[in-house]
Amino acid sequence: MDQAESPDSGRRVRLIVAAVVAVALLVAAAFAAGSLSAPVATAPSTTSAEAGFARDMQTHHAQAVEMSLIVRDLTDDPDVRLLAYDIATSQSQQAGQMNGWLTVWNLPQTSPEPAMTWMSRPALTGVSHEGMSEMGTGESDHEPGGDMPGMATAEQLAELEAATGDEAERIFLQLMIAHHEGGVEMADAVLVRSNERVVRSLAASIVKAQSSEIGYMQDLLDALPAA
Amino acid sequence: MASNNPATPSVKEQREAKRAAKVAVLKKQQAKEKRNRIIGFSVGGLLVAGAIALVITFVVSSAVPKVNPDDIAIEGLDTFDGLTAVHIDPNPVDYEAEYGMNPPAGGDHFGAWLNCGVYTEPQQNENAVHALEHGAVWVTYDPDVLGEAEIETLRESIPKTYMVLSPYPGLPAPVVASAWANQVQLDGVDDPRLADFIEKFRQSPDAPEPGAACTGAVNGPGRIS
Repeated sequence: MDQAESPDSGRRVRLIVAAVVAVALLVAAAFAAGSLSAPVATAPSTTSAEAGFARDMQTHHAQAVEMSLIVRDLTDDPDVRLLAYDIATSQSQQAGQMNGWLTVWNLPQTSPEPAMTWMSRPALTGVSHEGMSEMGTGESDHEPGGDMPGMATAEQLAELEAATGDEAERIFLQLMIAHHEGGVEMADAVLVRSNERVVRSLAASIVKAQSSEIGYMQDLLDALPAA
Repeated sequence: MASNNPATPSVKEQREAKRAAKVAVLKKQQAKEKRNRIIGFSVGGLLVAGAIALVITFVVSSAVPKVNPDDIAIEGLDTFDGLTAVHIDPNPVDYEAEYGMNPPAGGDHFGAWLNCGVYTEPQQNENAVHALEHGAVWVTYDPDVLGEAEIETLRESIPKTYMVLSPYPGLPAPVVASAWANQVQLDGVDDPRLADFIEKFRQSPDAPEPGAACTGAVNGPGRIS
């Protein structure tokens, strides 16, 4: 009896093992097929240029919004007021985009490193320079923790707030031209440090919009009566 | 006699040996058949299970349709490269002469943009083009071609923000949809390309200033919403 049964039960065991292996292979194959066909989404790290740009540019944009809302209360000039409205609304919207990236990437809004650290790191090689400003190189001599380019100081903001009329417009335009130049520099810097599609798209928009606004603000500044 | 020669098997023994050989061959055959059957079932089962897995994978991975605006193809789309975007007020722009556009789909413009909305009267091109720079889609219609019911259909069919709708006498088509650097001439208010165009270009990151406002500047004449 024993001798007659053992080859049979041995075969059964082998069959079961084979079935288990087959199922395991199947699961692995289906998993591989699923993950291969799903879009690859690798989020930037918390010390990446993308994350650094998303955080520092939010800070930079926030000051442009602040200065724009200040000058709207200090002048009746429709051109300057509309320009300020444009800057305040568009840079708020862009800051919201960058805030959203960090959320989607599961990264904190606050950097583990000092501001501007990402700009002190070398550029990537082989990155497209498409969308950069005409004179921009993306290079920078900024130090981690240093001031962001074009940011107004507390004294300059106080000076703006104390002025009215033409004088307020002049200070605002001078500060905002410098601020935009700094913004373009930061956008150029991320364009040579990132291949991330959404980051490149917004950075190129910032370069384009702020470069043309610099020209417009220079015209408005030139049209002001001499101080 | 048989015991004389043990090497020579008896007839009975010979028969038994033959039968044993036959049985061995038969058993071997049966074992082979069984193995083949197992292999067949296993391979077949794997194929069926694989097909099911692929179907499940496909269904799961395509359950939420992905619409990449880049993939929306619009037949008859006109595009304009290398547009300038200078504020030229108070001098008007001849968009047809400067850029070969009628109606305009980008280019130099006034410093103030047209507030998005539905208008019953023609609008200043230079303001409307600035709205395109901010990511709006401008739908124009020929008021001499479209009836009141068709105009109402247009008004109902477009999104409420980042859209300008206005009459434009002398259009090359009954309806023309324009975004910055892109335009399509439409056969009428029910042309399916209108919805595709709006989906592809409204608030597109390809506009020069996406995210800029389409409010707070100039209300043109005849704004009703």
